Amino acid sequence: MLRDVLLKTLRDQRRSYAAWCLSVVLLVAMYVALWPSIRDQPSMQDFLDQMPQALRNLLATSGADMSTPVGYIQVEFLSFMGPILVILYAVLAGSGAVAGEEDRRTLDLLLATPVARSRIVVDKAVAMVLGALGLTTLLGVALLLEGTFVGLDLPAGKVAAAMLHLALLGLVFGALSLLVGAATGRLALSRGVPAFVAVVAYVVNGLGGLVSWLEPFQKLSPFFQYAGHDPLHAGVSWLGVTVAVATVAVLVVGGALAFERRDVAS
Amino acid sequence: MGAAVIRCEDVTKRFGTTEALGGVDLVVEAGDVFGYLGPNGAGKTTTLRLVMGMIRPTSGRVEVFGLDAWRDRSAIHRRVGYISGDVALYDRLTGQDHVDFVGHLQGLGRPPEAGALAERLGLGLRRPARELSRGNRQKLALVLALMTRPELLVLDEPSSGLDPMVQREFHTLLAQHAARGGTVLLSSHVLSEVQRVATRIGVISRGRLVAVERLDDVRAKALHHVEVQFASPVAAGAFETIEGVRDVRIEGALLRCDAPQSSLDPLLKEVSRHEVVDLTCIEAELEETFMAYYTKAAADVA
Ligand SMILES: Nc1ncnc2c1ncn2[C@@H]1O[C@H](COP(=O)(O)OP(=O)(O)O)[C@@H](O)[C@H]1O
Ligand SMILES: [Mg+2]
Repeated sequence: MLRDVLLKTLRDQRRSYAAWCLSVVLLVAMYVALWPSIRDQPSMQDFLDQMPQALRNLLATSGADMSTPVGYIQVEFLSFMGPILVILYAVLAGSGAVAGEEDRRTLDLLLATPVARSRIVVDKAVAMVLGALGLTTLLGVALLLEGTFVGLDLPAGKVAAAMLHLALLGLVFGALSLLVGAATGRLALSRGVPAFVAVVAYVVNGLGGLVSWLEPFQKLSPFFQYAGHDPLHAGVSWLGVTVAVATVAVLVVGGALAFERRDVAS
Repeated sequence: MGAAVIRCEDVTKRFGTTEALGGVDLVVEAGDVFGYLGPNGAGKTTTLRLVMGMIRPTSGRVEVFGLDAWRDRSAIHRRVGYISGDVALYDRLTGQDHVDFVGHLQGLGRPPEAGALAERLGLGLRRPARELSRGNRQKLALVLALMTRPELLVLDEPSSGLDPMVQREFHTLLAQHAARGGTVLLSSHVLSEVQRVATRIGVISRGRLVAVERLDDVRAKALHHVEVQFASPVAAGAFETIEGVRDVRIEGALLRCDAPQSSLDPLLKEVSRHEVVDLTCIEAELEETFMAYYTKAAADVA
């Protein structure tokens, strides 16, 4: 497991990854357990319908029917908690990649070896991608399996599509974090910038349909690539996937190039 | 004399408005154990990181093995062992894990030397790095730098935290490395840490290289504290004019002065012109000689 930077990075994650996986399973179990009471309580839907349009848009739930399994999961889980979880994971992985090691000064060990700096960035990015895909896969499986206990039946293919988009959503911000960390070596900045951009992107996507001057920007938001087409109903949006993958690739390559060119001072 | 392993040509490095190095010219030749000396903040770490291609010179050229230290760093790193001035290890990994990881990154798999090196330094490789004392962390860093048998060692204050016994073993390792034709650049803020192994020393002060000398030449300049009790008072004049003699102090019939080896003969001839009651001559610590010569050079630069 210590043959290269990729395997070492995966190995380093072991413990925290186990904790992430456990959280995912428990979190899904909590949402699943709430399902029967929500389903039998039509007033929840009325409550949603009475919410101001702006708030409903922000939660990306316009048109969702909370009394169906798909609507429930979309509103309750995929519009907020799911993205937060995956973005948090990816940003921690992305900021830990270069800025984290620089902060703890262990980066010197890597930089004194023949391994190219760009290779370090790419290896760490691959570890982040594998981690995010693993986490969302587990999330999808947990939704499907745990849901069967309470009749929360979801279409497996559509859940898989939503999870792919969710992983890519997290990876866009994780890759941004990796870029900022590789370019500046500053841990706080590499976490703060993606967090700020994520909030802005979330709001732009949520309100884009209502506020006319925001509308042109809505399609730029990673949240729009993620859920604008409603993946639990429509499945995979290949355009959304392409845009997200391209964004991640550009950010990682940018990070590799910036890291090659900058001083790593003491 | 060997070929230049490290060559710095008119190297300047600025961090923002701080000039960490200004116009440094430095050559370290194959087989040299080069002691790079200077007080804290003088620019030692900056120089060593330039050599390692971790930072880029603002102007000038840094070459290692004839390659550009910044552009060709990967090729250079295959042949170099480095200890950072600020040794950091992976807390959760054991010593052996570090050996395996760095060994693989160096392209050597599991370096067979590591175990023997660790044993010589009295370091166990089984414990995770977070449990190691400062001295043991430093030892592990040494093992990682030496285990690949690199041609060049770049060591930033490597002896800090080592106890004297281990320091001795470390110096033996460096001497053996040099005997095999290897080259060493090691920094320190005190001469005593490098005087046993260094063949040449360079002195840096406020980003300027103020002196480069063979250590043998410094030794030849080694000051002797001379104290002479005469039978009757003497005048300072005749002693002060002897080449190399410094700090002449006369209190009645007592003469005190400092003199390098080369001045001892004329000094004693002058002394014997008077009636001598007692005489002592003690060689000063090399450190003291060094300070006497080079604090002046450093002050001239400032
Ligand atoms: N990353 C940096 N940013 C700004 N100034 C720096 C940086 N690194 C070093 N310096 C400055 O450069 C000078 C030389 O530092 P350094 O090479 O670390 O000295 P030494 O290793 O001899 O103690 C110091 O004045 C230090 O403050
Ligand atoms: Mg230093």
